[in-house]
Amino acid sequence: MRQALILAALALLPGIGEAIYFRDNVSWQSPIPASEMVTVVQARAWDGNAIWVDARPDAEFERDHVPGAVPLNEDSWNELLPQFLAAWSPEKRVVVYCSSQSCNASREVARRLRDEARLKNVFVLQGGWEEWLKSRK
Amino acid sequence: MRTHIFAFTLSIFLCAIARAELKWEQTAVELHPAPGDKEAVGHFKYQNTGSQPVRFKSVHTSCGCTAAQSQKEEVPPGEKGEITATFKIGDRTGTQVKSVTVQTDDPVNATTVLTLKAVIPQELEINPTFVFWGQGEALKPKSIVVRASKDFPVKQLRVTSSSPDFQTKVEQTGNGQFKIDIQPRDTSWNMAATLTIQPEGSTKTFSAMARVTNAAAIQ
Repeated sequence: MRQALILAALALLPGIGEAIYFRDNVSWQSPIPASEMVTVVQARAWDGNAIWVDARPDAEFERDHVPGAVPLNEDSWNELLPQFLAAWSPEKRVVVYCSSQSCNASREVARRLRDEARLKNVFVLQGGWEEWLKSRK
Repeated sequence: MRTHIFAFTLSIFLCAIARAELKWEQTAVELHPAPGDKEAVGHFKYQNTGSQPVRFKSVHTSCGCTAAQSQKEEVPPGEKGEITATFKIGDRTGTQVKSVTVQTDDPVNATTVLTLKAVIPQELEINPTFVFWGQGEALKPKSIVVRASKDFPVKQLRVTSSSPDFQTKVEQTGNGQFKIDIQPRDTSWNMAATLTIQPEGSTKTFSAMARVTNAAAIQ
């Protein structure tokens, strides 16, 4: 028992060392404030008062997407932005999604809509397309 | 007890001498693509400095915009190679940081995260890229500020509207900065225009949007 504990403690040392050494390289917090994130349940409750924006690559959008979603990705931003802005309306909330929780495309698209186009009520969908698919089942 | 200690020490020693180890020349690459470049390619070189072959299990990228490829599936001891990461620039701007996660069967360094940083030059900064008027809103012009980068000085800007319903006026405000005033002809109905912005002497164009929406909102 004692030997096992000693071995476990020894095994823990490199992990602790690495955690201290790389403490500045690990992001412990989501770069997006919670107020700018939205769950599938919340976004669905907005019903007709939301515009869904698909930030995934064109091929993935063409394969399948949230019904009524507008494609807007950074591969073809200049071409797709006018299409999105034509569908946009100030009273509507914008829900941006990408593939999953780990993808960053929806955050970047949401940031550009807020910073460059100065749109308000832009949200990022938690869990992205994967989460939306789960809710559809 | 002594036998246990001896066996433990021996196993560690054997593991150490028969190790497989992939040494990376660099795990972070910074790229500075030229204006107009479609992609940026980073090369991450490695060498197997161990005495056992190393096998790649997977190479994943953090973004659909980046594709990573390994030259070989297995790296024999002493051999060199590289992982190539190709970042599709598209219409991205500013500094982009993408990661490539490499997993091998190396028990010591099973996972390595490679970082590709691309600094994309931005000739013009347009702020905002969209102006709009609510229905029935006062017929007052709204402005877009265009700032030229120090690396790409601009003397004149040419702005054209895709619709005669929106008129534009360009004013140079100094320090490579311009103000574009946009005015709709009417705000009683829904209309839109794409504004094409072109620096003098450049073939590259930038765009902004102007719209009268059907909602009674004020920007």
